[in-house]
Amino acid sequence: MKVYLAKWGATMAVTWSNLLVYRVNFILQSIAPLFVFLLVKLSLWYRIYEGQPGLIGGYSFGQMAAYHLWVMITGLLVFNGNSQRISEDIRLGRITSYLIYPFSLWEFHGAGFLARTLLQTGIAIFTIFAALALLGGRLESPSFGPFVLGLLLAILGGVFWFWINYWVGLVAFWLEETWTLMVMLQIVTYFLSGAIIPLELYPEWLRTILLYSPFPYIAYGPAQLMMGNLEGVGRAFLVLGFWALVASWFAQWVWRRGLRLYTAAGI
Amino acid sequence: MGLAAGASALYGGRDLMIKRIKQYGSIYGAFVSTSFSEAMSFRAHFVLLIVMDLVFYGTHLWSIDILYDHIHLIGTWRREHLLFFASVMLAINQLTMTLVSENYWQFPLMIRTGNFDFHLVKPVSSIFLTFFRTIRPGSMFNMAFTAPAVVYFGLQVDLGFWAWIALPFGIVLGFLLQNSLEMLFSCAMFWMIDGTGVNFIRIEFQQLARWPDFVYPSMLRGALTYLVPVLLIGSAPVRFLLAPSDFWPILGLVVFLLFFWALLGFFWRMGLLAYESASS
Repeated sequence: MKVYLAKWGATMAVTWSNLLVYRVNFILQSIAPLFVFLLVKLSLWYRIYEGQPGLIGGYSFGQMAAYHLWVMITGLLVFNGNSQRISEDIRLGRITSYLIYPFSLWEFHGAGFLARTLLQTGIAIFTIFAALALLGGRLESPSFGPFVLGLLLAILGGVFWFWINYWVGLVAFWLEETWTLMVMLQIVTYFLSGAIIPLELYPEWLRTILLYSPFPYIAYGPAQLMMGNLEGVGRAFLVLGFWALVASWFAQWVWRRGLRLYTAAGI
Repeated sequence: MGLAAGASALYGGRDLMIKRIKQYGSIYGAFVSTSFSEAMSFRAHFVLLIVMDLVFYGTHLWSIDILYDHIHLIGTWRREHLLFFASVMLAINQLTMTLVSENYWQFPLMIRTGNFDFHLVKPVSSIFLTFFRTIRPGSMFNMAFTAPAVVYFGLQVDLGFWAWIALPFGIVLGFLLQNSLEMLFSCAMFWMIDGTGVNFIRIEFQQLARWPDFVYPSMLRGALTYLVPVLLIGSAPVRFLLAPSDFWPILGLVVFLLFFWALLGFFWRMGLLAYESASS
């Protein structure tokens, strides 16, 4: 067990060193979400509320700003996939190593995912403090219990997203390029998860369908919990947990099917 | 004699310019042709690229539509105004996606691997070779979505006759300004080697431009109009098209376009001096 964990640790260390090798790039990528939140989202919603006295979809301006802050934090914890690297490994025939080594492809990328999530958690903590410091008392500090639940749901969302990424990466057994598929999934997920506008503003029929999908629990669900709204928390964990299991099973199935096509010389 | 020499120099200069234009035209034709051949050999990817852009366009317009189900105005703009603005921005985005975007991702890779050396030894502008080498034929087909969307929302905001004439020029000017700025940002890759961070910032600036200028508070609006004029990309042409008397922003766009193009030349030369080939 100790040796096994050491492999995970070593892989995580390699991932960290890769991520931090170009520091300016790393810093630019880290501050970009806060930059967009402060410049685009706050400005846009401020202008919208200026011409609209009262609530929009049940949200005051302060609540809408808080919602988008927590959506941004959730995004940092969820969207940590690396399907591009998996596709490359397959296309160039590099996965042969994982077929021989006592550390499989999913374990290698799983360790990479964990390393990125830990790093992103640090960035998320910095972002929260920076946003609270910049916005002064205009944002309410979250209560501890619901906030931790929100974080846990976001991490579960991250696990779901890892398996989706892994699956998309494995599509390289059949397709020469997979990044388009990943970007498409990301756009759809952003839209359906409530990351652009809260789900209360969506048509009723769409919201009803979405409740059974994993999407609302990736951004909207954690953001609501972080804002102290505990309604539907059990359902959120159940539905997202179910979809994370389905995604992991499906990814492993795709892996087994894909291996039959693998020629070790690249696809 | 002096007059004859002057005329000869003038006509000689014109001939040379025509020759250069023909040379660049034929090179660009070869770029288009090779990009098409490459795209056609990866058909699934080709189709997915088209679908990916369409999904983005659809969700962006639908988000605005959903938002306006709950409000009447943003600033002074009604639903059809913002949808018209969004469709113009999508048309600019589609041009960028088709003609330039792929090259922003390839450029840092070329610097890192040293393949950029091959651009420097060719007798053509290295800016041209770097940013116009690869086009995305798949995205070109999405004009079948963006053009009707611009026309549809243009009809909704009752564009006048001259506005319809000016519309394609406005879109092209927006596209040119956006890419002058993005090429300028990309010069930073000479010093940073890995371009992920710069590409991230480039995309964040695209997000800023995706909303009309009046959305931003005055200080920020000033900075994003006069310092890094990303807000002129869409707001200048649309404001002019909606109210032709509001022509100052589009004049500003043209001036900034010339200024940033000159600045690009300067920073590009500085970048070339800093470039250390594959040893970097």
